[in-house]
Amino acid sequence: MAASHSHETEAHSTRVYWQVFLALTVLTGASFFTYSSYWPFHDTPAVGWTFMMAVSVTKAMLVMLFFMHLKYEANWKYVLTIPATVMAIFLIVALVPDVMWRYEPGAGGSQPSVERLRHAANPHEAPLLRSPAPHESSAH
Amino acid sequence: MAQAAEAHGHHIHLQYQPALPLPNGKLFLWLFLSTEIMFFAALIGVYVVLRFGAPVWPRPHDVHLSEPIGAFNTFVLICSSLCIVLALEGAKRDNPSAAKFWLVMTFLLGSVFLVVKAYEYEAKFSHGIYPWKPHSLIYERPDVYYASAVRTRMVEITTPLVQQRGQIQEQLKSAEPGSPQRAQLEAQLQQVDQKLAVCDQYVLSVVNDPLVTPEKLAQLSYRIMHPWKDEQGNLHPPLGEEFPFLHGLPMVIPGGNLWASTYFTLTGFHAAHVLVGLIAFAFFLPKRLGQERTVHLEALGLYWHFVDIVWIFLFPLLYLF
Repeated sequence: MAASHSHETEAHSTRVYWQVFLALTVLTGASFFTYSSYWPFHDTPAVGWTFMMAVSVTKAMLVMLFFMHLKYEANWKYVLTIPATVMAIFLIVALVPDVMWRYEPGAGGSQPSVERLRHAANPHEAPLLRSPAPHESSAH
Repeated sequence: MAQAAEAHGHHIHLQYQPALPLPNGKLFLWLFLSTEIMFFAALIGVYVVLRFGAPVWPRPHDVHLSEPIGAFNTFVLICSSLCIVLALEGAKRDNPSAAKFWLVMTFLLGSVFLVVKAYEYEAKFSHGIYPWKPHSLIYERPDVYYASAVRTRMVEITTPLVQQRGQIQEQLKSAEPGSPQRAQLEAQLQQVDQKLAVCDQYVLSVVNDPLVTPEKLAQLSYRIMHPWKDEQGNLHPPLGEEFPFLHGLPMVIPGGNLWASTYFTLTGFHAAHVLVGLIAFAFFLPKRLGQERTVHLEALGLYWHFVDIVWIFLFPLLYLF
């Protein structure tokens, strides 16, 4: 009786693994969909970025909960995962000023500082390099 | 309490209680993974900071990044994650042959991932996209430094051609008029002259012009990197493909150096983790994978799933952002 019961739970867990695998595949397809021409938000990349991060977090949660069995573990899982996650988030938050201070103060946060532009790529030159010269595009 | 127990003639039974209710090996692996979480969070965090702090970031197409290949590799890792969890399930049921089959599948899929990664690296290296300078052909702006780098490369290309030309002319002096050897030498001379003319027409006329503008240099870089149309509307392949002797010309990719540094750092560390996983699999593959190996397979699986999770974040961040 006990043996048949454990056999059932094993068959059940194998089925769960395949279902999670299917979900992960579909979600990978979903984030890849943002690359296709059918994706309606190419003009506002932030929508795609948010969507892809949401998909990635969902995928990571699926892998952790089912493949890494965290769903079935005792409370020690919080002792080991939460401090690391908090430290990781602190680390990223600590880097945020680096992004802010790169930009010229008072320019609406969009104008890179003069110091940076002296050696870095120039945003105004980028379109030159990404499109053919006028006669090369207009002709034919 | 203890005194009371002694007074009653009982022995005190001390029982070992681990701080956390899990095997030491698994505890170690989870502690290791929590350091790995911070390691990759640091790398990914720095990437996000650099990526969104950069004034310009290259488009995937400019740096020969293929989104479908990235998606394929994501799928490969997801499959391998499924395989290793099925291997663990096989060991739990004391079914060594099933466990071995799924572990072999995991190993193969991990190898496929690395082969695809190597192919992707090769695509970048062959186009001069390197994370370090002696090999890197990436320039940030179409300025005098870029023009100077193109001139330096052109000297490397034209010097042997000019030498060859001198040798042929020397041999022509001693060749008898009308002999087949002379005709051959003349044909060779014509070929060399054509190559030199191509150098002058497409590259040197631009970079040697003292009044060259950033627009002209940008146009040159565009022709080095992309297929382009001439004044008559004829479509040309990139210069290095149309004229193979013109390979290795510097390119202007705004933000390209930062892109290369972050891309190779992130994917390189991830690939190193995949490699370590493969070595661990190879260590356990020859062994009998019965119930006694459950703890080991679980540890392998936890590590492998973590590597998978890292790629789940790297794929959209590197290929689709």
